[in-house]
Amino acid sequence: MNSMDSTKGKIGLKELVAIIILNVGTKVADNTPTIFYEAFGTAAWIGILIIGLISLIPILLITKLITLYQDKNLIDIILHLFGKHIGFVLLFTLCILQIFTNINNTSIYTDIIGTMYFSKTPTVVIYLLLLGVAAYGAKKGIEYIGSSAWVMLFWICLSLLVILSVVFVQGEFNQIFPILGTGGLELVKGSYQNSSILMDFLYLALIASNVKSATIYKKGIWIGFVIILLAFVLSLIGYVMLFDYYGVRMFDYPYHETIRYIEIGFLNNVELLFFPFWLISSFIRFAFYLYLGALLFGAVFKIKQFEYVVPALAVFTILAGLIPESSVFSMNDFRVIFLNLITPIFLLFPCLLWITAKLKGDFKNE
Amino acid sequence: MEDLTTLKNKAIDSNLEDTIEILKKFYSVPLNQDIVIRNFSISGLDKKATVIYINSITDSEKIEEHIIRPLLTNNSTEKKLENISPAQLLNTHENFSNILQDINNGNTALLIDGEPKAYIFSSSKFQGRSVEKPLNEVVVNGPKEAFNENVIDNISLLRKKIRNENLIFESITISKNSNNVLYIVYMKDLADEKLLQNIKDRINSLDINSIQNLSLLEQYIEDKVKSIFPTILSTERPDRATSFLEDGYIVLLMDNSPDSLVLPATFWSFFHNSEDHYLRFIFGNFIRLLRLLALLITLFISALYIAITNYHVEMVPTDLLLAISATREVVPFPTIIEILMMEIAFELIREGGLRVPNPIGPTIGIVGALILGQAAVEANIVSPLVVIIVALSGLCSFAIGDMKLNFSVRLSRFLFIASAAIFGFYGMTAVLTIGIFYLVSFYSFGVPYLAPMTPKYISSKDTFFRKILKTEQYRPGYLKPKDIVKKKESQ
Repeated sequence: MNSMDSTKGKIGLKELVAIIILNVGTKVADNTPTIFYEAFGTAAWIGILIIGLISLIPILLITKLITLYQDKNLIDIILHLFGKHIGFVLLFTLCILQIFTNINNTSIYTDIIGTMYFSKTPTVVIYLLLLGVAAYGAKKGIEYIGSSAWVMLFWICLSLLVILSVVFVQGEFNQIFPILGTGGLELVKGSYQNSSILMDFLYLALIASNVKSATIYKKGIWIGFVIILLAFVLSLIGYVMLFDYYGVRMFDYPYHETIRYIEIGFLNNVELLFFPFWLISSFIRFAFYLYLGALLFGAVFKIKQFEYVVPALAVFTILAGLIPESSVFSMNDFRVIFLNLITPIFLLFPCLLWITAKLKGDFKNE
Repeated sequence: MEDLTTLKNKAIDSNLEDTIEILKKFYSVPLNQDIVIRNFSISGLDKKATVIYINSITDSEKIEEHIIRPLLTNNSTEKKLENISPAQLLNTHENFSNILQDINNGNTALLIDGEPKAYIFSSSKFQGRSVEKPLNEVVVNGPKEAFNENVIDNISLLRKKIRNENLIFESITISKNSNNVLYIVYMKDLADEKLLQNIKDRINSLDINSIQNLSLLEQYIEDKVKSIFPTILSTERPDRATSFLEDGYIVLLMDNSPDSLVLPATFWSFFHNSEDHYLRFIFGNFIRLLRLLALLITLFISALYIAITNYHVEMVPTDLLLAISATREVVPFPTIIEILMMEIAFELIREGGLRVPNPIGPTIGIVGALILGQAAVEANIVSPLVVIIVALSGLCSFAIGDMKLNFSVRLSRFLFIASAAIFGFYGMTAVLTIGIFYLVSFYSFGVPYLAPMTPKYISSKDTFFRKILKTEQYRPGYLKPKDIVKKKESQ
């Protein structure tokens, strides 16, 4: 009878996997593929596999830590390992990074909606609606973000599957050659630089204590990881098959060009059949991002009911995200630089945590 | 003269004349026509006696045959009263308030001179209709009895289906003046105590003079009064109420209510229909699929039309687009006005058709549909396509059997129409996402609205589609029933 009360506010395996897929998986449908094609050429799909391989280490270390400290999330672990002061600095850095990522991503998504679908609508309005819905979800809390993600997951995956199967039928298989793209060494170098694409797996540890158990968390992470890599590989092959190497590099948003390009039966323009599903996953994704931002902010500034930070954070994100419009550099370029910059953090931070835990002797209790 | 309210709590006098006088005052005799006070003397005992009852809610013949005549023809001097009269002696009361309540419930009070108490005999007979066919929840297959306004009949209908001593009908008086009685029905060996206590607490916290029926009670105890979605299910089918009881739900019954309330309710309990399970697996799921389709069409089709014609014209194949624009050419209004006019007209016809006196009911529909639609098109006020779309959305809304969900869907449809007019697909998706966020965080008596879809519970997974009957082994886990397994897998 107590089982329900103790799981109140917690998410199960289904919800966790749904969150992971929507939050990381949505990246196949923004400008991430373009970054890959620029770095790896036709070998983009091998690139993501190498990134996956590189990321294995940090993800493995984090899940190890989570299973070690049952019922603790990344914030608790950082505070536990580094104490108040260094912990504060680390959390503050994470918080800034997370909020920056969010500003960067939301402004890119606003740009996608603005340039691809609603070219006459003012950016502010698009931005407001995007973050308004996301903030509504974020304020509800993680269990409802998870539930919503799960409710829609099937339909979103179905829409991606339909697109992929059409792409594989209509595309040219030969266009995936040369299979190694920019070449062996470049591949490894580029993969290393861009591995922060999976940085979300570090952030996911922030909600570890909201998952029913550490075992479920571990399971969810790996299921999500495999599905995401699969989605990335298939989409990255698909886009190249459809547009060829040169073509696909010209686009900022290959997914949206794809759904514009493909035809299904008598329907020549099908992009709007798929647009809503992409939108829903974006809404849920940013709801999760805002939630994480508020969670970190709350941890840094000791705000217990951090959900109340969400609206302010959303407004700040909109204001900050709108600035670059008039500025010389675009958010897309910024994202590439940013990704390269934070890669060492993603790769080294978990190692640092793990080593500290080891030195502290916490693993002995296992 | 003493105040009547203070008198009410007093014990009756052993002097018969005085007591009768006071009772007369209470009932404003002779102003009240249907109060019967009959004086006679009990032969044998040789005592003066009086019976008092309300003849419009009692069985007069029974009183005559079983109460008065035996007393008049009694010869024995020693027999006790309960042995003289064959009528069922319910109780003896000493103070006025209890006597009055029993008389108001259709029972008969017998007062005997020299005895400071009243004997209450059962004699109630309220007028009402008999058990009839369900009017709102029609099924082709399956039982065709419905609840009526007489709670005893309703209880009997439930007892007929569950012959088990664990089926409890707990009665609570929920209003002060009218003394309305509510029956809380549950299976003692299944229903969760906490849930039961939660419901009882909510009911006991009410301090109201009168609650006539369940439809009114519902609004006092539901979770979110201002929500567009209902949290308590009403059903007029005893078979449906029974299957809920057997799953560990709690059912409320009341006099004057031709239905029952089932709580807690999830989205699925509104979406389902008893026929889904009476039909074979494939057929049952086929009608579920149809209902889902109807739900989606009702919600989205008008909004889609607006979004596509205003924002996403390129979606439509060229030939169809030309056809649409040809019909729209002569219409002076923007699409949103067109759609709203027709949607509102449809809602009006529907409401009007419902309230119109029976004999002209069918005509209103024909007049509404034919004249309005046809004439509107000919007058170039709306385009024919809009008529098709609105008619489709209206017709599909009838496939959602539950009246409350029906309202929710019809109202949310307008939200989608508005969002589509402002923002096209972007707005519609935004509203849909907010709707999902809202629904997953919505609770009915502590049960998540979309359970067991999310969050997960052990259950028979009866959501959009149902499983094969044999494999529906579990009661819904979100109710925390005392016994989760309802059938063992048969080999």
